[in-house]
Amino acid sequence: MSKIKIDQVSRHFDENVALAEVNLEVQEGEFFSLLGPSGCGKSTLLNIIAGFLEPTSGSVYIGGNDVTGLPAYRRNLGMVFQNYALFPHLTVFENVAYGLKIKKLSRNEIKERVTEALSLVQLSSFAERRPHQLSGGQQQRVAIARAIAIQPSVLLLDEPLSNLDAKLRKEMQFELRNIQQRVGITTILVTHDQEEALSLSDRIGILGKGHLQQVGSPLEVYRRPANRFVAEFIGQVNLIKAKKSVSQSEAPEGKVLYEAEEFEAAKNRPLQLEVEAESDSETLFMLRPERIHISFIPLERTVNNAKVQLKEISYIGNALRLNVELGSRELTIHTPDPVFNELPKPGDAFYIYWNSEDIIPLEAGE
Amino acid sequence: MRKSSKKKNQLFHWLLLLPTLLFLGVFLVAPLIFLIVLSFRDVDSMLTVLSTYSFSHYIEVFSSKIYVKTIISTIWMALITTLLCLVLAYPAAYLLVRAPNRKLRALFYIMLVSPLLTSVVIRTFAWIVLLAQNGLINEILIKLNIIGEPLSLLWNMRAVIIAYVQVMLPFAVLPIATSLSDLNPNLRNASMSLGAGRIQSFFKVTLPLTIPGMITGAIIVFSLAAGSYITPLLVGGRMQPILPLSIYQQVMQVFNLPLAAAMSISLLVIVFIFVGILGLVLKRWETRMHG
Repeated sequence: MSKIKIDQVSRHFDENVALAEVNLEVQEGEFFSLLGPSGCGKSTLLNIIAGFLEPTSGSVYIGGNDVTGLPAYRRNLGMVFQNYALFPHLTVFENVAYGLKIKKLSRNEIKERVTEALSLVQLSSFAERRPHQLSGGQQQRVAIARAIAIQPSVLLLDEPLSNLDAKLRKEMQFELRNIQQRVGITTILVTHDQEEALSLSDRIGILGKGHLQQVGSPLEVYRRPANRFVAEFIGQVNLIKAKKSVSQSEAPEGKVLYEAEEFEAAKNRPLQLEVEAESDSETLFMLRPERIHISFIPLERTVNNAKVQLKEISYIGNALRLNVELGSRELTIHTPDPVFNELPKPGDAFYIYWNSEDIIPLEAGE
Repeated sequence: MRKSSKKKNQLFHWLLLLPTLLFLGVFLVAPLIFLIVLSFRDVDSMLTVLSTYSFSHYIEVFSSKIYVKTIISTIWMALITTLLCLVLAYPAAYLLVRAPNRKLRALFYIMLVSPLLTSVVIRTFAWIVLLAQNGLINEILIKLNIIGEPLSLLWNMRAVIIAYVQVMLPFAVLPIATSLSDLNPNLRNASMSLGAGRIQSFFKVTLPLTIPGMITGAIIVFSLAAGSYITPLLVGGRMQPILPLSIYQQVMQVFNLPLAAAMSISLLVIVFIFVGILGLVLKRWETRMHG
């Protein structure tokens, strides 16, 4: 049985729809991320799970119980906030002990659990400090310890790392995942950082415009995005609109031919795509920049290749980012560094190609 | 070059301050020094100011039973006023901060400061109209047969405190409201997520974190309440044991100016001591929270 179940949850703010009939199930022990741009409704959904907001309609179940009408303080959820929200008038120890004192545990038990929680986040020696004496990363860890100390049924993380600098964020990501694995607690992370979501999560739910666009493993949402919104939000993408070719006689067994009229591959000849499976007669395809390969000699194939002209090039150490012109349109290519001895210059012409399994059809609409 | 421009800048700042400094120097510091000097002057039996100096007036203030009683009741009255103001101001400040929209908040602010926009005398006479023997409150209570005889609501310490609380409430509400609106709303959410209900969260998080606002309010209300004399004179009568009234009597009726000066300085020092203690508590609390 799933740990958290969101059933047809909608939330309106006056006339604005922040969430529209979201359905979601999160499994016991899972690290689940809600990913989306700002204003997509991810924080609204988290606040509804936490009990700070009531849904306009729909229900929330935690551990099989309907908690929709239950106030936040009855839900036994651990929450970590973006700005840490440590109590400034209390010491680190008192902050972590806060929830335990509310539960009226014995002094010894409180001490034991606080010590345990602080050692989990490696802050045992900071117990008597006050929040203002700690760095941002340390405050974040105290916030995590405080949330975990009450042994919540679910851990909710609201953009917990977005106030940290890049290097510290990487470290904390690793540590967060580590802590979650050791405690084995069901966790929901809200973030707008796709890299964070991809590297931490078991599964990701991508929210856009109040709708849950796709739910899947990091691999699935990156490799097989459900629609254009997901494809464009996660990673970079080349979008190619194509029509099914009239003649499929040249297509090898199990492949389908499409023509992209917007891209002119060679004099009056549209770009020919060979794809794995048949979809609508007019379909939007996605091609990741790193799936495009480069060749300096002409290729002996008629599909999935083109002659292009370099427009822009940027060298980013371990990789090259190229913008190339194909007819009147542009494509972006990522390629590892050692392909060229000398970097090509804008205006240079070369050939690009890709495999049919790398051209992915996207669902229409959003 | 940087240094000289910095100097110029400083000079400019002082120039901007100069009119205020001059004004305060002439009308506050100089009279205060004059008052201090006067308080040490001896007087003869006809209350003529002599050129000799002594502590005699201070000794009189702190040894006379009546004056000591007056000092104690002044402090007591100011403390009660402060306490009542804080208790009444907190919910008002809460409402002010939580007002659902800007228009409503502006309206609340105007309502709050409106007592300050009327003159002391008019405001105080309004209280007389309300509280007098044949005033509005007594009339209504008699008409409703709740009481048979009119209550004596005026000319006592209670009336003074009631009038004070009304006037000084805004001075307590505003700093508390500021403190409340500075509060990170996630702190309350954090408290609730840790299992504390609304009331518990209020007493464990919101209230302690708004102590600075309460202390600031207390400092303002206490010093105002300990020092004003028009309100107690008009609603309490001139016989109330309140130090500012005694000073007023010494100046206007007895004409013992040095004794009045000594009382004034004593009152000032007493208020300073209270404000100083509250200020220290405030500072300690703030270093505890923010370093």
